[in-house]
Amino acid sequence: MLYDIFIDPFVQMVTMPDFFLQVLWEGFVTGILYALIALGFVLIFKASGVFNFAQGIMVVFAGLTLVGLHEHGIPAYLALLLTIVVMGILAYGIERVVMRPLVNQPDIILLMATIGLTYFLVGFGEFVFGGEPKQMIAEQLGLPTGSTAFEMGERGLVILQHIDIAAALIAIIMVTALAIFFNKTRIGRALRAVADDHQAALSVGISLNQIWAIVWFAAGLVALATGIMWGARSDVSFALEIVAFKALPVLILGGFTSIPGAIIGGLIIGFGEKIGEIYWGGLVGGGIESWLAYIIALIFLLFRPQGLFGEKIIERV
Amino acid sequence: MFYREAGQFKTSYEADQSLFPIRQDRIGIAVLLLIAFVLIPLTANDFFLTSIMIPFLVFSLAAIGLNVLTGFAGQLSLGSGAFMGVGAYAAYKLTSIFPDVNVIFLVLVSGFFSAAIGAVFGLPSLRIKGLYLAVTTLAAQFFLEWCFIRIPWLYNYNASGAIEIPKRDMFGITVSGAEATPLARYFVVLAITVVIALLVANVLRGRIGRSWMMIRDMDIAAELMGIRPLQTKLLAFGVSSYICGVAGAMMVFFWLNAAEPSSYSITLSFQILFMVILGGLGSLGGSFMGAAFIWILPVFLKFIPGTLGIDIPAETVEHLTFMIVGALIIFFLIVEPHGFARLWQIGKQKLRVWPFPY
Amino acid sequence: MNAIMTSEEMPQVAAPTAEREDLLRVDNVSLSFGGVKAITDISFDIKKGEIRAIIGPNGAGKTSMLNVINGFYHPQVGTITWQGQVRRKMKPYEAASQGIARTFQNVALFRGMTTLDNIMSGRSLKMRKNFFWQMMWYGPAREEEIEHRKKVEEIIDFLEIQAIRKTPVGRLPYGLQKRVELGRALAMEPDLLLLDEPMAGMNLEEKADMSRFILDVNQEFGTTIALIEHDMGVVMDLSDRVVVLDYGKKIADGPPEEVQASQAVIDAYLGVSH
Repeated sequence: MLYDIFIDPFVQMVTMPDFFLQVLWEGFVTGILYALIALGFVLIFKASGVFNFAQGIMVVFAGLTLVGLHEHGIPAYLALLLTIVVMGILAYGIERVVMRPLVNQPDIILLMATIGLTYFLVGFGEFVFGGEPKQMIAEQLGLPTGSTAFEMGERGLVILQHIDIAAALIAIIMVTALAIFFNKTRIGRALRAVADDHQAALSVGISLNQIWAIVWFAAGLVALATGIMWGARSDVSFALEIVAFKALPVLILGGFTSIPGAIIGGLIIGFGEKIGEIYWGGLVGGGIESWLAYIIALIFLLFRPQGLFGEKIIERV
Repeated sequence: MFYREAGQFKTSYEADQSLFPIRQDRIGIAVLLLIAFVLIPLTANDFFLTSIMIPFLVFSLAAIGLNVLTGFAGQLSLGSGAFMGVGAYAAYKLTSIFPDVNVIFLVLVSGFFSAAIGAVFGLPSLRIKGLYLAVTTLAAQFFLEWCFIRIPWLYNYNASGAIEIPKRDMFGITVSGAEATPLARYFVVLAITVVIALLVANVLRGRIGRSWMMIRDMDIAAELMGIRPLQTKLLAFGVSSYICGVAGAMMVFFWLNAAEPSSYSITLSFQILFMVILGGLGSLGGSFMGAAFIWILPVFLKFIPGTLGIDIPAETVEHLTFMIVGALIIFFLIVEPHGFARLWQIGKQKLRVWPFPY
Repeated sequence: MNAIMTSEEMPQVAAPTAEREDLLRVDNVSLSFGGVKAITDISFDIKKGEIRAIIGPNGAGKTSMLNVINGFYHPQVGTITWQGQVRRKMKPYEAASQGIARTFQNVALFRGMTTLDNIMSGRSLKMRKNFFWQMMWYGPAREEEIEHRKKVEEIIDFLEIQAIRKTPVGRLPYGLQKRVELGRALAMEPDLLLLDEPMAGMNLEEKADMSRFILDVNQEFGTTIALIEHDMGVVMDLSDRVVVLDYGKKIADGPPEEVQASQAVIDAYLGVSH
């Protein structure tokens, strides 16, 4: 038993490095996708202090809209464009209907409002596009398919799906673009000001409403990218919503306001989950992927409650 | 005009601290109990009992459970569905092992298993708060769900992976299993729910209830006043999980007859949470109202168009329900964050001065 | 070194109350957060039955000092002696059960509860009936509740807040909230009552009321009081002895008139060019 837990998995890792590398790659890609979802959370949390529970459903909703529009005979790229417009309208609507009336409410109320939003979007998405899983139109969007196998001498080969590589690249591009946007543009500066202090930002003439609409739109774009990538790997369905909960442990590792934190947290969870499942999951009957991420986060919380990049909080009275 | 407390003077602290200090409220609650215990059993058909009243009561109890934790002690939980599951599986195992013991007793005992597990997952609440705590409870939700699937012992190695409730008698009347009459089930569920609700109401108006609210409103001040945060929070987790556990056990024993792990999924957790939010955080009466609303709205949506001759497909009803519930949650949070319970209060206030506006 | 000297000198400085017993002694306490030093090497004592004021400019470390006294912060250096016994590192709730109560700079009432419940909450430590009896209500739990309700009603009478008994505290004006908070602390029947700016943001009348309550508490119940206050007039009138902090250091300690005359205090408040 102890051998199975402490020695055997490592022996396997060493004796079958090709398989191990494959697992690592899987973990990496999953991690990137978690990181993308978490990124959407971070964007909104930074700018408004709202923990947007609906980010997961926004991913599904964006994917569904894209595929749904294409199914109605609209060419793929036009559908993509239209989806971006839809996400923009959604962002504006959320700002107008949900965020603005709830300014200055306690965090928990805002969180629950986004849970309500989740429910609304689930119902709305299913109402418009139907509840069945759909195939992502990856090919039509010009995303690469197929795979490349790397041989590792005599030790076997590692297979990389092209779509995964594309996902990783797009993630990197998006994070870079967001970083530039945050640090170099006027809106980015306003955004950071809002994140620091709502009232102070208001007093120097920054429009909160405009900033919020922008971040929700940005989060919507991130959701769209995530939806395409994730959809291409499996399919577009509401099951993704459960996956999106995994962003929570990711955020706990990385901190709620840190973009690099979201990426690193995502990768840690991605790797941890895949390695745990493949090498240790079998010992308890498998399927531990469904909760391992939370347990990792929980253990982490007990030792470093402020996250990897957070500052230690001093309580005052 | 009718709802007025003028002239009702209290001459003792006992009277002032009773659950319903106003006479009209006491009459109202008596009427409600009379309807629940006499009128409904006399008049209702099986459909009404099985599809509306029993689930309503089960969900009310679950909502009370979550309300204790979230509404009164201020600890957000997204795992109430799983804690209900613990109760259900515990009761199932207990009745398999002790088939001769009274099933109601076992259902009540099963809550303690749930309470113990709830307290374990409540441990991190000492160091973490709010959202972070929500993650702990999500961990509980997914971990426990996994246990329900992966530990075959829990469902007696049943091929279907589900638990099926055997026939159990009490005083010669079948109360659980497929043969039990809706009426018998209804009385059991009603009795358990009313008794637990009453006990919870008592706890909430005393020292312990106050200590929960202290932690909720200002945890630092509470601690500086001698409240031990860990014990207090764990007690809230325990009590809340106990109630949820009993509700979960009732759900399968007296309503569904069979349950699979997915019956206690995160969807259920959210459903309960919505009942609590819409009903009113920190209000027992609100829990009943929230449960009634969330449970009865889909039924309502399903049958009203039917009677009008409009045919709406079942999925559409479900989608509409989602949309309406979601929109209503946002609406309530914006307009009245304290839910139906607060609306009820406002209504009573208006009644008090009726027919004058002020 | 210097600080040890100070703590030995103290009894002579505090002549009027010197014969009284120490309720609390703070010796050479230093507290820092990361690199920031909040309190540096402070020693003073609080005698039984006195009103002790802690004053100083903003950021002088007064509130941190209170936080140290009731166990919310743990100083890195120094000892605290409570009723003759050196205190170990402990939790705030233990301080509460030893008889230290406090009010807060920014009102820290339980906003979701009524005035009555807020003050009842001060009785928590004195109520013993277990969960089972609470659940039953009728019987011991109710008797206990009534017994404490009587105590609480006395406090409500004392503070003249009968009319707002059943009002949720969130709806009360600031001055009344402060009064309810005092009531809540009094309900604990503490040996030492810490008041953090009890009169901040009050108008003259409210200040007069509050001062009267504080004096009454001290004289009628014999409660020892340590208070932080910015209104010098109030401090000078109320307190028996004053300790002055500046930048986390103690710069003066003694009866009000003595402190008032101290050059260090004048410099700290008016600012001097160094």
